[in-house]
Amino acid sequence: MNLDQLIDNLKHDASFMNCVTEWRTLPATEGKYVDFPDAMDECLKGILRKRGIHRLYTHQAECYELARQKRDYVVVTPTASGKTMCYNLPVVSSILENPDARALYLFPTKALSADQVSGLYSMIEALGVDIKAYTYDGDTQGAARKAIRQAGHIVVTNPDMLHANILPHHTKWVKLFENLKYIVIDEIHTYRGIFGSHLANVLRRLMRLCTFYGSNPQFILCSATIANPAELASALTGREVATVTNNGAPMGERHFVFYNPPVVNKPLGIRKGVLPETRRISEKLLSNGIPTIVFCKSRLQVEVLTRYMKDCVRDAYGFSGRVRGYRGGYLPGERHEIERSLRAGEVDMVVSTNALELGIDIGSLSACVLCGYPGTIASTWQQAGRAGRRKDTALTIMVASSAPLDQYIIENPDYFFSASPEHALVQPDNLYVLISHIKCSAYELPFEEGEVFGNVRDTEQFLEYLTENNILRHLDGKYYWMEEELPSGEISLRSATSENYIIIDITNPTHHRVIGEMDRFTVPMLLHENAIYMHEARQYQVEKLDYDACKAYIRAVDVDYYTDADLNVSLHILDDLEQKQLPNGVGLNLGELRVSTIVKMFKKCKFDTHENLGFGVVRLPQTDMHTVGMWWTIPDHLAQKYTNDDLQGALVAVSNLLGIVAPLYLMCAPNDVRVVYQVKAPITDKPTIFLYDSYPGGIGLSEKAYQMQSLLLEEALKVVTGCSCDDGCPACSGPVAEIGVDGKQNAIAVLKELLS
Amino acid sequence: MAGLLNKLRMMDAAGKKPAPKTEAQSNEQEHCYHKTFEYPLTLFCDRRHATPAILEKVFECSFPKSISPEDVLFLDSETTGLSGGVGTIAFQVGIGYFTQSSFVVEQLLMHDYPQEAELLTILCSRMRRFSVICTFNGKSFDIPLLRTRLVMNRMKDDCIPSVHADVLYPARRLWKLRLKQCTLGRLENQLLGVEREDDLPGALVPQAYFQYLKDRQFGPMERVLEHNRQDIVSLAQLFYELCRQMDQPESIEQGEDLLSLARMCERSGDIQRAVKCYRLCANGDTRADAYRALSVTAKRQGNTEAAIKLCKAMLNRGDDPIYAYEALAKLYEHQLRKPEQALHYTRQALLLLAEPSLVKTEAVQEKQIALQYRYARLRRKLSQCVGAKE
Repeated sequence: MNLDQLIDNLKHDASFMNCVTEWRTLPATEGKYVDFPDAMDECLKGILRKRGIHRLYTHQAECYELARQKRDYVVVTPTASGKTMCYNLPVVSSILENPDARALYLFPTKALSADQVSGLYSMIEALGVDIKAYTYDGDTQGAARKAIRQAGHIVVTNPDMLHANILPHHTKWVKLFENLKYIVIDEIHTYRGIFGSHLANVLRRLMRLCTFYGSNPQFILCSATIANPAELASALTGREVATVTNNGAPMGERHFVFYNPPVVNKPLGIRKGVLPETRRISEKLLSNGIPTIVFCKSRLQVEVLTRYMKDCVRDAYGFSGRVRGYRGGYLPGERHEIERSLRAGEVDMVVSTNALELGIDIGSLSACVLCGYPGTIASTWQQAGRAGRRKDTALTIMVASSAPLDQYIIENPDYFFSASPEHALVQPDNLYVLISHIKCSAYELPFEEGEVFGNVRDTEQFLEYLTENNILRHLDGKYYWMEEELPSGEISLRSATSENYIIIDITNPTHHRVIGEMDRFTVPMLLHENAIYMHEARQYQVEKLDYDACKAYIRAVDVDYYTDADLNVSLHILDDLEQKQLPNGVGLNLGELRVSTIVKMFKKCKFDTHENLGFGVVRLPQTDMHTVGMWWTIPDHLAQKYTNDDLQGALVAVSNLLGIVAPLYLMCAPNDVRVVYQVKAPITDKPTIFLYDSYPGGIGLSEKAYQMQSLLLEEALKVVTGCSCDDGCPACSGPVAEIGVDGKQNAIAVLKELLS
Repeated sequence: MAGLLNKLRMMDAAGKKPAPKTEAQSNEQEHCYHKTFEYPLTLFCDRRHATPAILEKVFECSFPKSISPEDVLFLDSETTGLSGGVGTIAFQVGIGYFTQSSFVVEQLLMHDYPQEAELLTILCSRMRRFSVICTFNGKSFDIPLLRTRLVMNRMKDDCIPSVHADVLYPARRLWKLRLKQCTLGRLENQLLGVEREDDLPGALVPQAYFQYLKDRQFGPMERVLEHNRQDIVSLAQLFYELCRQMDQPESIEQGEDLLSLARMCERSGDIQRAVKCYRLCANGDTRADAYRALSVTAKRQGNTEAAIKLCKAMLNRGDDPIYAYEALAKLYEHQLRKPEQALHYTRQALLLLAEPSLVKTEAVQEKQIALQYRYARLRRKLSQCVGAKE
């Protein structure tokens, strides 16, 4: 069967359709084209024509025009819409006009930069001109580095490299900084939360140096579809940024199917597993030879599913190369080989983590199966976009897992299709992040009195603070660096604080190796002694945690259980930023919190059944984190309607529900926000529900939650009333054992009161 | 709402305890420290050895054809750190040069950050007068740092002499075999007999300077300056000592140094001088190495007979017999085309490798495999020869 026949077949398959909660068909759209701009280099036009490109898509032309007008812009396009041309065209033509011009490209990952540079090379080669494009990252050899610094027209790197390697040594890059015309940042939607907050500050440092060297580069940014690309772009760059959304690329007809595995135990709300169901559906696509990509959420799932699929196609000689797995952790050479065979159409099915979600060129596939909801709307569209890259029909089937988030999405298709994708939030002025980068920037170039870092009005106060700590010397109107060490070395862009723990595998006594790192706040949860730590689908047991030296020693083990640490959280309000009282008497606050967490014990749980095998003791000090949170204070007249037990059950349930919906509306990973309750909050003595950013200093999630609090409550109410369970289940308020017999009803009542 | 400063302090309290606050003392000195010292020429060995030809062999780069001792500027800097990033500052720079009557050391030190431009201006005006600059590890440290400082102060870096003689690299080539470590301190102690008294260790220099900025007590800076002066004098002495040894190998007493010098000569293509050095050290501990090198040189020059003689001499004395047998096997196989003899020597080498007392390191095992390979090939060759004759 070809894809159209298969779609027809599925539509008439009653057992399949019984599980389908939504089948959405999105009509095909025509491409919108314009002629090459007159100003464009003739040679460049010739090259494009040779490659079969005779006109530009409208959005590409619009980008070219904006670039000529020296405007900063962000282009928002789905996959396969010729995005790279939106920056390569203006950059290359600008270098053709002025061979001294330089451009800096930033990609979030090394794999992506390598892929993009090879595309750029072929274009430059075809032009037959002397434009040098290089990747500059951890893999670049010493000798090549010098050549890149001197002669590279286009330097392709990542934010980490810019932060730790280029900026602190900027005098070696004089040519680049003096002549920098374009800063291209691709996949900006990946720079949200703490990583984005860091990037914004790295860019502030970069621009400060550009001013020093007398250049004023333009920004060209690219984003997948998110709700606020312009807002994100200007938060990252600190500038007004024009938005290009007018996608001119054609698109075939697309089918989007929501599939909820059948219920096997109704009272407990247990459904068939997501993996076996994905396997069944994928087998059907594979046996019909339909080129398919399957996205899984973990590396382990990828490996398991790849094995199942390979078994299906293995020929008499044991060859199963038509199915490939793909995930981080494979060696670069192996990944490139898989990408190449995908482009060449030698592979029928690839099973991948979200590693293939970003723009690596993998050619055209017809179908996409999502094993579980990818976590955000933006991510889902991005993954679905991997199928149907040309004008043909495309099919995406999303198989829901029993996780609450998946169940919410699968049961509320309108939410998914009508809501805009999430907001990407960054908080460049997070104190921890900001102070780190002001330090780095002061190292790179002495601040002058009255100078403002980015748009931080309080710059002077930060500098005074650093002076107070003998890090800077304030003299004759300038702030000079007064330490031996380079500050960027100890600041990682991917976490909030500098204190990272390194994870050391000691399985091989003669060869200890570092396999990862973890931030201070997560360590007590996952790396306490005797914890089972998972890395690349392998189990390790934590043998020793050297808390002071920031090292965890782990050893490979093979056991049938995992560990789950019991986290005790206590909250302390440091500062009220905003507050209001709702007409119903509910108090609403936004403020700074100190979150003290302590892990005292952990559970051992058996795989599959999750039954409890026993407990262990954890002896670790309490960790304190200062962050931003918002909270609802429940007035006495409302609380008094319930017994203490009922109230507690209801608070647990409401917290669980908010924990489900908050990440959805704040566009963040489920662990980025935490919801906790207190029956008697220390200051007010009243029942209180707190929602806070689980990053030191906050990343802007609570501020947003404060503004959209009634929406969060409404959605929480929808989830709990819409759920088909009787007395609560893991997909809504939490199971009866946790919330009490009347927990679900009480939670509904409390939510209604909060909203009244 | 708490002030920003308080918040920052509070953040800190969660981590480390704050350092005691010290008020920045303003600097009363209007200009940067600049003093000149003179040293007698008798401190240095005969400077006539430093001809362009000798210099080129020592430093492996080309020098101006008409170089005189007055054309070389010796430079050493003291910095606020070793990281080499743009925030590191050379707060003190010393330069040394020869006049007709003495060796002059000029020292510059900035009393505070704002004097950097002044320091650099004076330094540039001096550097401009010289065609060669000499440093110790300046290729990777002092000079790039200086360039960075010039860029940061918006000054041109074309005043830095284009020819750079970094003493570290030839010092390593010549003396590392014997001295193992080649820090400036060790070299001056071992080669020049310098004993420093009350020397300020280099690692403490940055903190000493930061302390000076805070308390304005110049005492520790005198120690930094003293340290820097000694560095510059030692640097100039080593520069000429390198040239002298290259020019007069016969004056070298240590076999290891001669061996190293021979290798340097070989690198620079001066085979004649290399052979001379190898012959000079063909006794004592370095005998085996010297013979080995001589036999290789003889072979390269096409003098098979001499090479064979040297290898046999090694065997007679019991010097590295495994190597000698293998070398003989190669010579007989490829040069003299006598596979029977080659097979014989290969077998001898293998027998020695099979000695139970020999520790089977990875290198030994590799050698064994290579020789077995050679052995098999020679056997094959011989049987083919026999076959062809029949």
